Amino acid sequence: MGAAAPANFEALEAQARTLLAVFIAAGHEAVAPPIIQPAGVFLDVLGEALRGRTYVFTDLNGEELCLRPDLTVPTCRLHLERTGGKNGQAHYCYNGPAFRFQPQGADAAHPREFRQAGIEAFGVADREDAEAGVLAIVLTALRQAGLRRWELKFGDLGLFDAVLDAADMPERWRRRLRHKLWRPEAFRAELKRLTTNPARSASALPAGLLEALDSAKPERAESLVAEHLDAAGIELIGLRSLEEIAEGLTAIAADAKAAPLSPASAAMIDGYLAITTAAPAVPDAVRALCATPSAGIEAALGAFTRRNTLLQDSGIDIDEVAFSGEFGRNVGYYTGFVFEVVAPALGPQSPVAGGGRYDSLLKAVGAAEDVPAVGGAIHTERLLAVVRGVRS
Amino acid sequence: MSAPLIFAVPSKGRLMEQTADFLGSAGLKLRKVGHERGYRGEIEGMAGVEVAFVSASEIVAALNRGRAHLGVTGEDLVRENIANVEERVVFLKPLGFGRADVVVAVPKSWIDVDDVAGLEAAAAAFRRVHGRPMRVATKYLNLTRRFFTAQGLVDYRIVESLGATEGTPAAGTADLIVDITTTGATLAANGLKVLSDGVMLRSQANLVGSQVAAWTPETIKTRDELLNRLGIAAPAL
Repeated sequence: MGAAAPANFEALEAQARTLLAVFIAAGHEAVAPPIIQPAGVFLDVLGEALRGRTYVFTDLNGEELCLRPDLTVPTCRLHLERTGGKNGQAHYCYNGPAFRFQPQGADAAHPREFRQAGIEAFGVADREDAEAGVLAIVLTALRQAGLRRWELKFGDLGLFDAVLDAADMPERWRRRLRHKLWRPEAFRAELKRLTTNPARSASALPAGLLEALDSAKPERAESLVAEHLDAAGIELIGLRSLEEIAEGLTAIAADAKAAPLSPASAAMIDGYLAITTAAPAVPDAVRALCATPSAGIEAALGAFTRRNTLLQDSGIDIDEVAFSGEFGRNVGYYTGFVFEVVAPALGPQSPVAGGGRYDSLLKAVGAAEDVPAVGGAIHTERLLAVVRGVRS
Repeated sequence: MSAPLIFAVPSKGRLMEQTADFLGSAGLKLRKVGHERGYRGEIEGMAGVEVAFVSASEIVAALNRGRAHLGVTGEDLVRENIANVEERVVFLKPLGFGRADVVVAVPKSWIDVDDVAGLEAAAAAFRRVHGRPMRVATKYLNLTRRFFTAQGLVDYRIVESLGATEGTPAAGTADLIVDITTTGATLAANGLKVLSDGVMLRSQANLVGSQVAAWTPETIKTRDELLNRLGIAAPAL
């Protein structure tokens, strides 16, 4: 299946030319970001856990580098180097190898080296238009390359955020839940904890200080912490400031007295994540979860419906799209719409393409602020395998 | 004569002395062969054993590759350096010396952080404020990653540190550390405290058997004889 066999090499090259031609015709400039990337950026953005899946090495200058595990982050970096992070639209496409260590051993279904072809659209203000546009281009490219049958899967982390915002709870709890969304078990445990006993263990913490902080004005909090450290003879070391430590303590003090999350709110959040239905049925399913949908939920549903209409207009049968409330939670950097294209021959474990919105990624790699960004990538070896299977 | 059983023993320091004492207490005398500064030895009266004096971390590699049948080394080094421990080696006996705990330690001034859950909350806030994850200085890359993953901690970056790890938070090159400690005195002197549930591993020197070494009928016989002298039940290798 890999590019090493001459027949595959030729076929993959030809397929790549087909895919890139579609991308370029749609207004995406072809770029070739470096294969060797600074490891720090990837590990900062995607997390230390990814180090276990990435080929990280140190060069003779002692610099920590990696073989890129995907092409989205390298394309973001290339964009920033070119533009200095200034606002403005940019449309890129690429085709090239990416590398992943396979802990269970590499095989055809889990190659350590594969070729990704994809597109990224940065800075487009019309969000639904950009999302529908990227998906339509990816599907056109797949069709052009010979893919005849596929199934589409949608998720929407923006909708999840709206549901979370509508649930009545302190903002710090929302942040914690959002933070744990990527790990279903931890998320479930946290939700349960908030509905039963939100107080965190504070037995080892200075009780008097907690008590004082609870009633203190925020500007007093810092000096209370400073006084406590002085009295205990503890030196402040490291980068975390008094302000950050005071904030941590204040949150613990507040949690100790907070009323638990209401079962209704927890049920709404659980209910959203459990939704599996056809895309057009999503608004009704979401509204059924809440007594009166918040303005935020209505806005997110409006965007969802508009995107569906735009996709329908571009020839996609939206009735056939499977939506899952949970889908998208397993990749750390998506922030909104997410999609996957599954070929029946390969099944849902090996999607031939996928993508979505990731508005915070450019900032994470160095832009001054969040930049609207949507992208999609095709797993070219899988695509070739399916297309050949269909022909034979 | 057939190929001997290779027994890898620490080549220097306290660990070597204590290993010799341990063997000596069972009446087994460890002796270097040839040059005093050489790296080969034998156990008196056990012709089938060839002793290799190597460094503790090299012993782990030898057991993992099957170059040694048995070895004495720290559990921390074994668990750090072998990914699928259960398939490669067998811990035959904890030896009661070379004790060290592998712990997560943070600045004492982080009075809002007492356990891993508290660290997780602080790590998420840290990332929001500083735009980067907390840095963890350690030489135990794999143990740290495994422990944090199991605990659900994701917002951190490992900075490899091969010495004076406990000084890195004060120096500003890391925010917290994972390191070995025996009494905690060095940590305390550097303004650090161990998290209440931050002991990742209570390590000590172990007699370890390789599962991937060439176990011939002769080496098995030698092994069982040796283990018998040491009062250890023979394992299924």
